[in-house]
Amino acid sequence: MATDKLQREEKTIKVSALTDGTVIDHLADGTGLRVLRVLGLDKGTTYPVAIGLALDSRKLGKKDLIKIERREITQEEVNKIALISPEATLSIIRETHVVRKFRPEIPDLLESVVRCLNPSCVSNHERIKSRFRVLRRDSLRLRCEYCERAIAADDVELL
Amino acid sequence: MNSRQSPASPATRAEMAARFVGRDVTSMRDFTTDELLFVLDLSEEFERADEPRLKGKILANLFFEASTRTRLSFHAAMARLGGQVIGFADANVSSVSKGESLSDTIRMVENYCDAIVIRHKFEGAARLAAESTHLPVINAGDGANQHPTQTLLDLYTIRRIHGAFEGLRVAFLGDLRYSRTVHSLIESLARFNTELVCVSPPQLRLPADILDDLFERGVRVREEFNPTILPQDVDILYTTRIQKERFPDPVEYEKVKNAYQLDRKALSIYPTRVTVMHPLPRVNEISPDLDDYEGAAYFQQAKNGVTVRKTLLSLVLGAV
Ligand SMILES: [Zn+2]
Repeated sequence: MATDKLQREEKTIKVSALTDGTVIDHLADGTGLRVLRVLGLDKGTTYPVAIGLALDSRKLGKKDLIKIERREITQEEVNKIALISPEATLSIIRETHVVRKFRPEIPDLLESVVRCLNPSCVSNHERIKSRFRVLRRDSLRLRCEYCERAIAADDVELL
Repeated sequence: MNSRQSPASPATRAEMAARFVGRDVTSMRDFTTDELLFVLDLSEEFERADEPRLKGKILANLFFEASTRTRLSFHAAMARLGGQVIGFADANVSSVSKGESLSDTIRMVENYCDAIVIRHKFEGAARLAAESTHLPVINAGDGANQHPTQTLLDLYTIRRIHGAFEGLRVAFLGDLRYSRTVHSLIESLARFNTELVCVSPPQLRLPADILDDLFERGVRVREEFNPTILPQDVDILYTTRIQKERFPDPVEYEKVKNAYQLDRKALSIYPTRVTVMHPLPRVNEISPDLDDYEGAAYFQQAKNGVTVRKTLLSLVLGAV
């Protein structure tokens, strides 16, 4: 690929719509950086990423927004966002068209999303995926499938 | 559901038994109420009968954490039914001390046996073991989490003595905060129409989430913080050990420890016999002068432990 084309793309991602990738919009104000971290985009990403913080929003007043070029978000990642900012909207873009638009949903089972806070839980000692059952969605309550401890939203620590 | 149904017809008995074949027993949460009652019913049958129904079967008793009582009880249950037992008594003698993962140990052991019993200091270890093998896994205690055969033997003992759970008033004494035995038994008794009294020092009261859950379910439960006044209106006193480590101040511990000791004198307030239970081992929660008290049930609990383990082993190995 010609260098000048790459440079052109790098310039345009910040200001215009994506050609291919993911737009995470309507992130609750102040959650953008956390989402970036959870998606592992805060260090050494090979994809161009643009982030907007505290943008004006008709719906939310203020919102954060993330654009990721050439990368489509996976279901597992969506689940992680569902816990941080449930109101977010995700759009998958292919060749400038929105091919899929969806809201993250908290699934019944969260695998490799949340860390168990119980130091005696086997999930903190063996190389296994953490697994939590969602007991309540309205005021979030999860139960570790291993040690069976229930945790509330305030204690949720994302992996 | 009434806890004393008429005996199941042969058809439903076979159906219920089929549900258990090859199944893991890691948590009381996995039992529906009818399954729980089925295990108790079958245990009454198995209490007397010792046919060699598990002849040719091998149980692996994997005690990553030492518990002589529970290990011997499983061993006796298997032996009574003609089966054989392999295994180890603590983690030091197993390959885990060499850093092998739990899943690997289980995958190795599954080649040697037909069922696995596991005791482990980490909570959720039995669940992980169950996920690592197609063989049935029975939890014999995973840290502070679950010990389903203890709960089943407690329930069995209670129903054996009192006939049914409905209407029973049960008081729990001692460390209600950290005792998994108490938590699990309370959860199970709450399924029936029982009344619960929780007597503990304030710092060892029942965890708030368990209490909240009981209130939400409409279970009749109350708390008392003065151990010198035993609740009058109860059928069962279930006592647990108060551990010194729970108290930052040793003086505080000494005071509490003595206040929670049951003896003949303390029980003299009851006009009729109350049932006294304890998961054992006791330290000084129950005075030896209660051992020949007619309501003393703690040694009977130990005996019943073998019975419910015989039942569960037979069920998961498809020998019912
Ligand atoms: Zn856990």
